[in-house]
Amino acid sequence: MEALAINRKESKLRVAPEWADVCFTCGTCAGGCPVTGVDGMDPRKAVRMAALGLDQELVDSRFPWICTLCGRCEYACPQGVEILKMMRKARGLRERDKVPGPIHKGVVMDLERGNNLGIPRDDFLFLLADLAKEMDEDEGFPGFYVPVDKKGANILLTVNSKEPFGEPDDMKFWWRIFYAAKEDWTVPSENWEGVNWGLFSGDDESMKIFVGRIVEHLERLECKTLLLPE
Amino acid sequence: MHDPCNYGRKGFKTFGHGYFEEPRWITQQCCENYVEMYPAKMNNFCCGAGGGAWAMPYEQERIFYGRVKAKQIKDTGAKMVVAPCHNCRDQIMKSLDKEYGLGVEVKYLWELVADSLIVEPWSEEEIKAANKLRDAQYERDDVDLDQEWG
Ligand code: SF4
Ligand code: SF4
Repeated sequence: MEALAINRKESKLRVAPEWADVCFTCGTCAGGCPVTGVDGMDPRKAVRMAALGLDQELVDSRFPWICTLCGRCEYACPQGVEILKMMRKARGLRERDKVPGPIHKGVVMDLERGNNLGIPRDDFLFLLADLAKEMDEDEGFPGFYVPVDKKGANILLTVNSKEPFGEPDDMKFWWRIFYAAKEDWTVPSENWEGVNWGLFSGDDESMKIFVGRIVEHLERLECKTLLLPE
Repeated sequence: MHDPCNYGRKGFKTFGHGYFEEPRWITQQCCENYVEMYPAKMNNFCCGAGGGAWAMPYEQERIFYGRVKAKQIKDTGAKMVVAPCHNCRDQIMKSLDKEYGLGVEVKYLWELVADSLIVEPWSEEEIKAANKLRDAQYERDDVDLDQEWG
């Protein structure tokens, strides 16, 4: 094996070799992680790999994706090692077409069509109106409707695309609460996605775009409160 | 009550406030017999599907991860688990409940609230005002409920 040059600049994970001393290798992180042992890995080993310059090996391994970024290890670490940041960075360094599962595809879809599952605007608005009609006429909420793009509303509500896609009736839980509270609320007609998969795929740029869209809604519709039930 | 990592531990780290007491207070307004899991709050265990793992192709690993949460739930003896996060709810309700034979009901926090409400219908005037706003909105957005899917 060739000799590795280890320094902060060289490190793709931006982990300094000093981490090798900062981390006590006490194993507190590994002891509290539910997936310690999977693929022979654990958070302590991941930290060691990064400190020893085995960046690419960590990026190529499954571990940063089997880890749920729960942050339990980091909270317990006596040395304040930023394990979570390192794991997420490792995810971000994966080539985008090698990101496991649909989360990167969801990011691309959201960038192009405004939600992770590509639900068109007209279908979305029709669905909201249809569900609202059920509540209005049959379920004991007379007068109920879903206010869309309502300027000056108090609450702006984002939507998890899995609900309009597969579990539409679940959207009614919040709606029933709003009805009872006579809340002044609204949903954007486009770019209403509340799930930011850029957070999980390690894609800061897309993540910023999605957050920016929500801020834009709040400003355009002059809403005071954001309700992001993720 | 399951503490989602993002609202609790990670919220605390990022924003200086973990939402631990708020969901407990709400749950206790709706349920008489509230029990805690152990450990909870800052040391809570993830449901096993965080970080996008619910969508990831590593299913066996996700279920393996969730064994810790499943045991925590079982040990409480509770009949219902309240999950204040979409992802945690799916993992506990659609996966852990079956895989580990928990036999628990799983609800979103806001579902619990919605189910606990006794709703009074709006007054005639309120209904009329809402209908007017609704009709104007449907007109603007070209929403026609009588039209079939085309
Ligand atoms: S808990 Fe911290 S100091 Fe201990 S092994 Fe893990 S990273 Fe190193
Ligand atoms: S953040 Fe990842 S490595 Fe740390 S305890 Fe959670 S699952 Fe394990």
